[in-house]
Amino acid sequence: MSKVYEYDAVVIGAGHNGLCLAAYLGRAGLKTVIVERRHEEGGGVNTEEPVLPGFRHNLHAQYMEFFDVMPMIQDFKLEDLGLRTIMPEAQAGITFKDGRPPIVIHRPDLLEMTHKSIARYSRQDADMYVELKKRAMSIETLLAVNLYTPPVESGTVDQGEMTEAFFGDLGVTKNFVMKSPKAVIDELFETSELRALLYRATVEWGFPVDTACTGAAFLTFIMWTMGNWKLAKGGTHSLAKAMTQACYANGVDLLESSPVEKILLEGKRAVGVQLKDNTIIKANKLVASNADLKQTLLKMVGEENLSDTWRKRSKAFRYGPSHVLGTLAYCLYEAPDYKSAKHDPDINKCFYTMVGFEDEHDTIAYIRDAYDDRLPKPAAGTWVNSLWDSTQAPANRHSATGWYFLPKAGALSQQEWDEVRRSYNAEFYKVWGQYALNMTQANVIAEKIYTPDQMEKKNMMMEGDFSNGEFAPDQMGANRPFPEASQYRTEIEGLYLCGPSAYPGGGVHAACGTNAYKVISKDFDLLDSIVPSRGY
Amino acid sequence: MITQYDVIIIGAGHNGLTLGAYLARSGLSVVVLEARHEEGGGLSTEELTYPGFLHNVHANYHTFVDLAPPVSDLKIRDHGVQYVKPEVQMASIYPDNTALVIYDDIEKTAASFARFSQKDAETFLRLYKEAHGYVDLLLGTLMFEPPMSVKELTKALSVFKVGNRSQFLSVKLRKETINQFLDEHFENSKIKAHLAFHGAVCGYGNNIEGLAIGFPLLMGKINNWHLSIGGSHRLAHALWRDLANHGGVLITDARVDGIVVENKKAVGVKLQDGTELKANKCVVSTVSVEQTFLEFIDRKKSDDDLLEPEFVNKVQNEILHQSWSLFSVHLAMSQAPNYIASEFEPDVNKAWVVNLGYDSLEALNDDWDVIAKNGLPDPRPNVAVNSLYDPTDAPDGCYTGLIRQFAPYEIGSDGPAAWDEISGIYGQKCIDAWAKFAPNLAEDAILKWATYSPHDITVKLPNMVRGDWMMGQITLSNMLDQRPTSELGGYRTPIKDLYMAGSTQHPHGFITFGPAYNALSVIAEDLGIERWWREV
Amino acid sequence: MADIYTQEWYEEVKNAINNKVAGMKKLPEGTWQIAIEIVGDGVSPYVLQGQERHFLASIDQGTCLWYKEIDDDTEEQDQKIKLDYRFRGNASKFDEIAAGIMDPIDAALGGEIKVKGDMRFLLRQADQVQALLEAYSNDVSTDWPKGKPPY
Ligand SMILES: Cc1cc2nc3c(=O)[nH]c(=O)nc-3n(C[C@H](O)[C@H](O)[C@H](O)COP(=O)(O)OP(=O)(O)OC[C@H]3O[C@@H](n4cnc5c(N)ncnc54)[C@H](O)[C@@H]3O)c2cc1C
Ligand SMILES: Cc1cc2nc3c(=O)[nH]c(=O)nc-3n(C[C@H](O)[C@H](O)[C@H](O)COP(=O)(O)OP(=O)(O)OC[C@H]3O[C@@H](n4cnc5c(N)ncnc54)[C@H](O)[C@@H]3O)c2cc1C
Repeated sequence: MSKVYEYDAVVIGAGHNGLCLAAYLGRAGLKTVIVERRHEEGGGVNTEEPVLPGFRHNLHAQYMEFFDVMPMIQDFKLEDLGLRTIMPEAQAGITFKDGRPPIVIHRPDLLEMTHKSIARYSRQDADMYVELKKRAMSIETLLAVNLYTPPVESGTVDQGEMTEAFFGDLGVTKNFVMKSPKAVIDELFETSELRALLYRATVEWGFPVDTACTGAAFLTFIMWTMGNWKLAKGGTHSLAKAMTQACYANGVDLLESSPVEKILLEGKRAVGVQLKDNTIIKANKLVASNADLKQTLLKMVGEENLSDTWRKRSKAFRYGPSHVLGTLAYCLYEAPDYKSAKHDPDINKCFYTMVGFEDEHDTIAYIRDAYDDRLPKPAAGTWVNSLWDSTQAPANRHSATGWYFLPKAGALSQQEWDEVRRSYNAEFYKVWGQYALNMTQANVIAEKIYTPDQMEKKNMMMEGDFSNGEFAPDQMGANRPFPEASQYRTEIEGLYLCGPSAYPGGGVHAACGTNAYKVISKDFDLLDSIVPSRGY
Repeated sequence: MITQYDVIIIGAGHNGLTLGAYLARSGLSVVVLEARHEEGGGLSTEELTYPGFLHNVHANYHTFVDLAPPVSDLKIRDHGVQYVKPEVQMASIYPDNTALVIYDDIEKTAASFARFSQKDAETFLRLYKEAHGYVDLLLGTLMFEPPMSVKELTKALSVFKVGNRSQFLSVKLRKETINQFLDEHFENSKIKAHLAFHGAVCGYGNNIEGLAIGFPLLMGKINNWHLSIGGSHRLAHALWRDLANHGGVLITDARVDGIVVENKKAVGVKLQDGTELKANKCVVSTVSVEQTFLEFIDRKKSDDDLLEPEFVNKVQNEILHQSWSLFSVHLAMSQAPNYIASEFEPDVNKAWVVNLGYDSLEALNDDWDVIAKNGLPDPRPNVAVNSLYDPTDAPDGCYTGLIRQFAPYEIGSDGPAAWDEISGIYGQKCIDAWAKFAPNLAEDAILKWATYSPHDITVKLPNMVRGDWMMGQITLSNMLDQRPTSELGGYRTPIKDLYMAGSTQHPHGFITFGPAYNALSVIAEDLGIERWWREV
Repeated sequence: MADIYTQEWYEEVKNAINNKVAGMKKLPEGTWQIAIEIVGDGVSPYVLQGQERHFLASIDQGTCLWYKEIDDDTEEQDQKIKLDYRFRGNASKFDEIAAGIMDPIDAALGGEIKVKGDMRFLLRQADQVQALLEAYSNDVSTDWPKGKPPY
């Protein structure tokens, strides 16, 4: 006999978006359950000791760039539930093999240091960077409103005008929205080293650097979040812990190790879910899915239950290739000491350090390899969290983590991925030693690499795609995942999307969950428990 | 962050969480502070090999389910914990590939014994039935109440003439080893080896004088081994959920490094990052005695006579630690083991746990000698394949395996760090030892494996001093109200408002809930909390 | 002589216990509220199968203050009685104890009579408890109108 439970609301997936939505639903008085296929909550908001005990690594999200604007943090007083943050002064840096000066981007309150660093290469670029950053920060509230509001359709004309209004005096014109991020960066900055850093950063945050019509995002998104990064003390997973605790405190239940196989329908209405072990969880009001789009609609609802349009659109949705990462995890005796540090020691204390990129050509070639399903030569963005948070490694030891750009999971065969797991770290590590002389074999206690095919298996981040859905003009904004589904509602009554396949996409902002709640609270006339005083 | 609570609990193992949940349910404001990024301590489940393979890094066997009151008081099952009690609980396979099986069904077990000795089968059945009768009566008294003294107990045993009433239980057992008990009652060497090994797995060394006293009770629950579906960590989630449902707070990544004492009373704690938290009513430590009194209490700063020198000396020099630790190998497998012994006894292939190789008490004793000299015995491990009974702990068609081998904390004279070098080699030996009994494992059944050494235990959980998984040896002198010292035996400490509630206390380590449940009685008495939990 | 489980019989039990206590040098400590639950098992003719008889007793320093039968648990709950011990078992076992053919300690050790409550208290006062049990099983003369165990 299979078990039957009954709730008002069932949330599929305990990623941070699912947790966020569930906490609001619980607080609004709905009897809510989150059903998670893994044994752990948090999805990509993950911290583990995958290599050696005591060495923590964030296997997915590392940079918390939205903590200042994320409504849930304040609405549920997550600080009281254990969320603490650290914001290193030196944020993003690029270092060089020949020991020439690094470029180090500092926190927004230390712009003069950023200026000084860029000015070693170009005063003009330094001026431009500082101005763009100030401008982006001055419209932060607006950008946040945009993030935490279900997407509204806006033509490129509107976007162009807005962009010009904000950045026009810096030489930005309407047509920038038609450009690729690379074209925007190239037009605004002249230094090859800085371009390299900015290309990589752009891809890191999900924007395909070569794709036309995504260039405005460089200004409103990359320039906004660049250098605003925080570290969740104890590891990114602390955020999931605090969110889960908010759920528990609001009476929400969480069922782990409970994969959902089916969304149960009565006619065209979602009335519950069925788990792999045949347990049935009835949903009197609604079901929301934090899982990816295709799984949710094509598999859980079932193709046969979708209209032609919805079936076609769902099938056409794309995962990757533009934003697929592999995570490296090293247990070290010493943190890397870079040759470039002789010019600026901050590169050794940088929150994010790019290693293996010499100039813009190098970097773009690397990115294009990954996009085109080729394994790039190893180079990475790296961090050493134990520098700021001593609990992340045993005493006198360091845990270093980082990201490669890799082809999407399906681009390589299982044997090829096995080979990557066997040898890629060792290859990178030879490169690393050329940038930091102390990065010798003797400095490494143990290491591991976590590849896109594993990300798919672990979290159902399909193809290893950071955002569970490519960022491209036709899959962004009110086009995400496709226009008919952009308001988190689906054609199945009572079924909502709350994962990154919906607007705004990947990243730890909880905006998918927050916005889904806004829509649901209207549909069910729930308490609007998102604090309105912030204006969004 | 809130910095004032009624009760501060140090350590979020099952004991800390359990105590926290009871106190939160009693209306107190409670915070549980955990050094790691995860709650649960010994209740940890991690994907050490590949995504989707759930490995219980520490506790795997839950042997007090339904015997420990918190399981029902805290509604553990309502919080999502699902236990299965495998029908084929465990087996011993001997070098000649004969095998003995313990079933959930005790008559079947006796039939399996009878294949080796009819007499022993009958003895075992009598022992089991007798012990099972008083498990109910005595387990509550001996484990789930603050302890009586050995003297009180032996007096009661003699007044009630228990020696005359029982074939097995008598006052003289307090001078005997388990070996002696077995030699007295049983004849078959394989049966004796099986039962002795079972005791050792439960922390009761078979050659330690006095431990015979606890042996009949162990036998009475020999078939009470449960498996937590989705990993042991699930229990930690449930306890946390109960805590948070009732307003308690768990803070992870909060390593305590000081207890604040004023006027000889504990009034708060200090975290490693400098944060101070105040406790209105009391502070409870569930970590090691050494940490609590040598590291947390600033003996220089506080009043001279805060701790008696004699007490300090005991803590420094006389805390007894389990003289053997555990070496584990965690495996991702594509096949379940197919034992040669299945020809003799088909059910071995269905056994959850299998003990490999010991066919006499002498063989077991010899290995204790090797371990006592910090040597590595030829592996004769116990192994478990949880996936035989838990469909959620491995990807479809795959299996999660566990090897546990008794081993010393230090190797030779090279100290515990020598494990870091030798783990891989010893791990392979353990696998080979398993494959000798199940040849299919030697081929391509093992996809990946990871080791976890005695040294790793202490690095991960510093409260398990010297790889001591029991947090204090089980010996007669370290039992009941003498555990861990006479001063601390009643959960109170020489410092007012500071209590001990971890496995250092009576009854001992393991997932027993006992230390927390008993400390609760004492704390409730001191704080005047009305007991809603001890329903008579 | 009184019929088993009648009001008179309980009076006799009470008197037997109190007589015993009167002669004791060291009295059992504390006040105990006790519930006794006798479960019909189809063997004993005194409590029919499917029925239960519940009794409450109050003991102060070994002396039985009162003893009464209650209809069901609601009465126990209504009166908000905080129990210290609960003894529960099959009627035939209770019968056997009353008849002096089953030792109460054996019954408890063997799990035939389930005891709930803080056993430490009973163990620490083993001498006194032993005396009370003897009074119960040996010092009362019982009539068995429907037959006597062993059945
Ligand atoms: C390598 C990497 C690095 C990243 N770095 C950053 C970073 O630094 N900063 C940043 O902001 N973002 C980063 N991201 C992106 C970020 O991690 C994700 O976008 C974010 O975690 C998505 O959150 P989510 O809650 O929507 O979904 P997820 O975290 O994907 O959670 C979805 C949950 O649903 C569950 N689920 C799926 N199917 C089912 C089912 N059938 N039944 C039940 N449950 C199901 C999954 O197991 C999972 O727990 C990174 C991503 C990757 C891959
Ligand atoms: C390899 C291995 C196998 C085992 N197998 C089994 C088994 O199969 N069955 C079984 O029942 N038991 C098993 N055990 C034993 C069991 O895990 C422990 O006895 C049990 O977990 C102890 O529970 P606890 O709550 O007392 O302590 P713990 O679970 O150790 O919890 C203590 C917590 O305190 C935290 N802590 C330590 N120092 C600090 C500090 N300064 N500040 C804040 N927090 C701190 C620790 O991180 C930890 O989380 C095993 C143990 C090991 C090591």
